[in-house]
Amino acid sequence: MRITKFTSELPAVQRGKAIEVQVNGRRAQAFEGELISTVLQAEGISVFGRKHQTGRPSGIYCGMGVCYECLVTVNGAGNIRACQTLVADKMKIETEAQVKP
Amino acid sequence: MSESVELVVIGAGPAGIEAAVAAAQAGAEVTLIDSSPRPGGQYFKQISKAFQSDDHTEHQREAQELFQKLASSNVRVLQDTLVWGIFEGAQPDTWLLTLHGSQAPARLSARAVVIAAGAYDRSIPFPGWDLPGVMTAGAVLTMIKNQRVLPGRRVLLSGTGPLQLEAAAQLVEAGAEVVGVLESASRLIWRGIPYLPALWGQWARMREGWGYLKTLAGARVPYRLGWSVIAAHGEERVNEVVFARLDPQGRPILQSRKTGKVDTVVAGYSLTPSTELFRLLDCEMIFDSGRGGFLPRRNENLETSREGIYAAGDCAGIGGAPMSRMEGRIAGCAAALRLGHGGEDQNHQGKTALRRERRFAKMLGDLFSPPAGLYTLAKEDTILCRCEQVTLGQIREAFTFGAQTITDVKNITRSGMGNCQGRTCGSIIAQIMAAETNRKPEDVRYYNIRPPVHPVPLEVIEEHGAEKAPEREG
Ligand code: FES
Repeated sequence: MRITKFTSELPAVQRGKAIEVQVNGRRAQAFEGELISTVLQAEGISVFGRKHQTGRPSGIYCGMGVCYECLVTVNGAGNIRACQTLVADKMKIETEAQVKP
Repeated sequence: MSESVELVVIGAGPAGIEAAVAAAQAGAEVTLIDSSPRPGGQYFKQISKAFQSDDHTEHQREAQELFQKLASSNVRVLQDTLVWGIFEGAQPDTWLLTLHGSQAPARLSARAVVIAAGAYDRSIPFPGWDLPGVMTAGAVLTMIKNQRVLPGRRVLLSGTGPLQLEAAAQLVEAGAEVVGVLESASRLIWRGIPYLPALWGQWARMREGWGYLKTLAGARVPYRLGWSVIAAHGEERVNEVVFARLDPQGRPILQSRKTGKVDTVVAGYSLTPSTELFRLLDCEMIFDSGRGGFLPRRNENLETSREGIYAAGDCAGIGGAPMSRMEGRIAGCAAALRLGHGGEDQNHQGKTALRRERRFAKMLGDLFSPPAGLYTLAKEDTILCRCEQVTLGQIREAFTFGAQTITDVKNITRSGMGNCQGRTCGSIIAQIMAAETNRKPEDVRYYNIRPPVHPVPLEVIEEHGAEKAPEREG
């Protein structure tokens, strides 16, 4: 959920230009300056990947590029950290590719 | 061919920016390398370029001042650049860094290096800690402050230290339902008395902490001392959390167990220093549990056991932003002096102020380190190494196979060999191994690390033949 309630401690932010991306083949709204993880969260998706060894789901954990739990596929390229990568117009994002070593 | 510079500073957080600016002011030629798109590190992390905000908070003012200092210096800044290896250089007294980034040269040779790599959240494994919806306090702060997105609707926080208070207060401000904040430390007031002198002068910090507590009280969020999450349940995402009171060693008292419905669990048990580059350089390490575990040994100029390699900020011992900034200035000046710039030691004043910050850091470390008993929460089938999906049971098997150090455990089980290079599981497995096999942390040690310290495309590594250190030229 994008935050819409703002306070003096959490001042309002104007997001970038509205753009459109594809998430698992479906169209999704996004804004310039958002991370892939933000768009997936706004779409209500919490499972980003599945472990190839066990099939267990994984999602955002550290949020700062350390843990590699948030890997997704972007425009066909695998192993992209959703928490470190900005969205771009027409980007194709796929979740739940089994993470290969 | 590699480009040669005088000084490289790694990490553009509070310590790195100060180090770079101080060295440049003394006359050194400085390149500052940072993995993020914009400088600031975790503490001064900036919102995306495409976002606009009219943030006039004190924190923001402080950040802007620092960025201004950097912008008006003649430091060359390389953003979006990973340092994936560091080696002894071809010429005597030089260091060779291998980089990955679209704007960056592939190699950089430097006569001195300040490492200011920062820290990340320390994890405690419990059954279900790898379920989506369970995340660190740092993740939540980034989501809210930088992306204005909520991690979930109903949230329980569990951990230790001031960071989770800030995360809880931000969640309340952002409109999430915070069902509680569990602090694993207990008897804080009683235990805090001997440290009262360390609080002297820390008014801004106390005001900040008080502000968070007020926000939480206003939203009627319970704050419990001596409690912790002990398990999370759910199929594809956490939907139920189990928590309990802790005994004085930090083990859960099962009779006190309670459950609650949540969609998010935030776990933040203080911080772990980012020590990969020191380990790669084979710097001498010391163990200090209150400052985050294994740390590079440094002299009073913040130089490590390897000549010309300096360490500043949280990567060399958790101490927070003010301490990091002081250390950055000291390391930057010392490195410049080594390179023949700047005059007499201008750091005298800085070193006195640093002692005060260190007292405060010691207090936080002593009061808010995760108690040993928390490391008993994981069960046989709990995953400890997420990347390679290695369970506690498999780790224990490695103990019985005769593993002496956690590098042996790594070789037997593959723990720590995945994408994160053991950053998440290293200190956890070391702690469990020390406790269960009756060894000292100094004997269990830390994972050996090899380049690349971040996964980089294979072509990048092949170009360097980085399985060994790049060959010495000439
Ligand atoms: S959530 Fe840890 S790397 Fe993205």
